[in-house]
Amino acid sequence: MENLLKIDNIRFTIGVNTGRVEVSGLLEEGGVLNICGPSGSGKTTLLRILAKLKETGGGSVFLQGKPWTDFSPSGWRRKVYYLAQKPAIFDGTVEENLKKPFELAAVKTDLRFDLDRAARLMERLYLPQELLTRDARTLSGGESSRVALVRALLVEPSVLLLDEPLAALDRTAASAVIELIAEWLEETGGRGAALVSHTGDIGGLSCCSILDLGGKEGDLSE
Amino acid sequence: MNSGVVPISNFQLALSVILVVIAGGISAALRLGLLKSLAWGTVRTFIQLTFIGYVLKYVFSANNLWLIFVIIVVMCFIAARASVRRTPNVPRYPVTLAFWSLLASTVLVGFIVVRVIINPVPWYSARIVIPIFGMILGNSMNGIALSLDRLYGESYARAGEIEALLAFGATPWEAIRGCVHDAMRAGMTPTINSLMVVGLVSLPGMMTGQILGGADPHEAVRYQIVVMLMISAAVAIGCLLLVGFSYKRLFTPDGALKEEIFKSRQ
Repeated sequence: MENLLKIDNIRFTIGVNTGRVEVSGLLEEGGVLNICGPSGSGKTTLLRILAKLKETGGGSVFLQGKPWTDFSPSGWRRKVYYLAQKPAIFDGTVEENLKKPFELAAVKTDLRFDLDRAARLMERLYLPQELLTRDARTLSGGESSRVALVRALLVEPSVLLLDEPLAALDRTAASAVIELIAEWLEETGGRGAALVSHTGDIGGLSCCSILDLGGKEGDLSE
Repeated sequence: MNSGVVPISNFQLALSVILVVIAGGISAALRLGLLKSLAWGTVRTFIQLTFIGYVLKYVFSANNLWLIFVIIVVMCFIAARASVRRTPNVPRYPVTLAFWSLLASTVLVGFIVVRVIINPVPWYSARIVIPIFGMILGNSMNGIALSLDRLYGESYARAGEIEALLAFGATPWEAIRGCVHDAMRAGMTPTINSLMVVGLVSLPGMMTGQILGGADPHEAVRYQIVVMLMISAAVAIGCLLLVGFSYKRLFTPDGALKEEIFKSRQ
C-alpha cells in the first residue's frame, strides 16, 4: 500500500512547556492510524498540528509524498480535515449546518452540496431525515457529533483526523460510525483516517497502525 | 430677543462649586467613597479647561496650518491611547494601529467637512478646524474602542466556530467575517442611535453651546446636522480601518487561529 500521510519528526510541547514530544508515523492509503495515550499526552495537539491549525516546533508532514509547504494552508486543511471532539455547530438548521462548508469560496468552486447524499449518510448514522429542518443548537451531544461527521464526509477530504469520534456515542451509534468510516475508506483510493482514542480500542477498523504518545518524551514510533 | 454671550464672571464661576458640594453631600450621606475623586475631578476640570482656553486663544490668533496639524496629530495620539485602554478583552494592543485608524478617518472626514462643506476663509481656520476635528475624534474614539473590544470578545467566544471554518478550508477572512460584522455593528450602533433621537431626546452639546453663545438656533441646527453626519462617517471609517488592521492579528502567518484565542474557549 502507498503512503498517504507521513509524519516526519513533528515536534511540539505539551502543558506549559512541561514536556517535549517528537513524533514520526505513517498512515497508509485506506488505512487508519490510531493515536492513543493518556490525557494530556498531546493527542489533540498532534491532530491540530497535522491539520495546520496549530504551529509546530519543527518537522514536516507529507501528503502522498508532497510536503505540506507545497500546499496553501487552506488547501492543506481541505485535504487533511480535522474534526474536533466537540464539533462546532452553527446557528441555523441541521441542513444549513451541513451546507456551511459549501459557502466557502475554496469549497464551492469544485464541490456541490448533495442533499440526497447527506440524507443517506445521516440515515446510516441513525439520524432521521426530519432532523434536517431542526434547529441545530437543539441537538444532543451524540447527534451533533454524528451531524459533524456527515458534514466532514461531504467535503471529501483525503485524510480525516477524528478526535475521540466515539466519545459522545452509545454502542449502536459508535458501531455505525465505525462501519461508515470503514466504508468511506474503501469506497475509493487516496483516503485515510487518523483517530484519537484514550484506549486504542477502535475495533472494526482494519489496517490499523498505532501511534502511542504514552506521555513519554522522545521518538514515538508506530 | 437676547443675542450674544451672557458672560460668566469669576464670582459666578465660583458659585458653580455649590453644585459639586451638593453632589459631594450625596456621596458623603450615602458613604459612596467618591468625595476625593469628586474634589480632584473638580480641580482638574478648572485647571484643564482654563489651560486649554489659553492654548486655544493662542492657536486661534496664530492660525498657523502646521501648528493646527501638530495639534490634530497629538489629539489623535491621546485618543488612540484612551481607546486602547477601554478594551478589556484586548491584551497588549498596539496604540499605533489605533492611531493610524483614527488619524486617517479624522483627516479624511474632517477635510471634507472643513474644505468642501463649511469652507471658511482661510479653509484651515483654527476656530473651525479644531472643534470639528475634536468632535470627530471624541466620537470615533468611542466607536473604535467598542468595535475592537467586540472583535476580540466575539473571537474568544466563537473560537470553536472559527477553527471549524478554517478546518473546512476557509481563509481567515471567511472564518472571522461574522465576528467582524458584529464588531462593526457594535462600533456604529451608538452613533446610529444618536441620529435617531437627536433633537427628540437629546440636544447635542455643540448645538446647545452655539445657542448659549448667542447663535441663531437655525444656524446651530445646520451645524449640528453636518456634525452628526460627519461623526457617523468618521466612526464607520475608523471602525473599518481598525477592524481591518486587527483581524489578521488573531491568526498565525499560516492562517491558524492564535493559540491564546483558541485556548480562551476552554
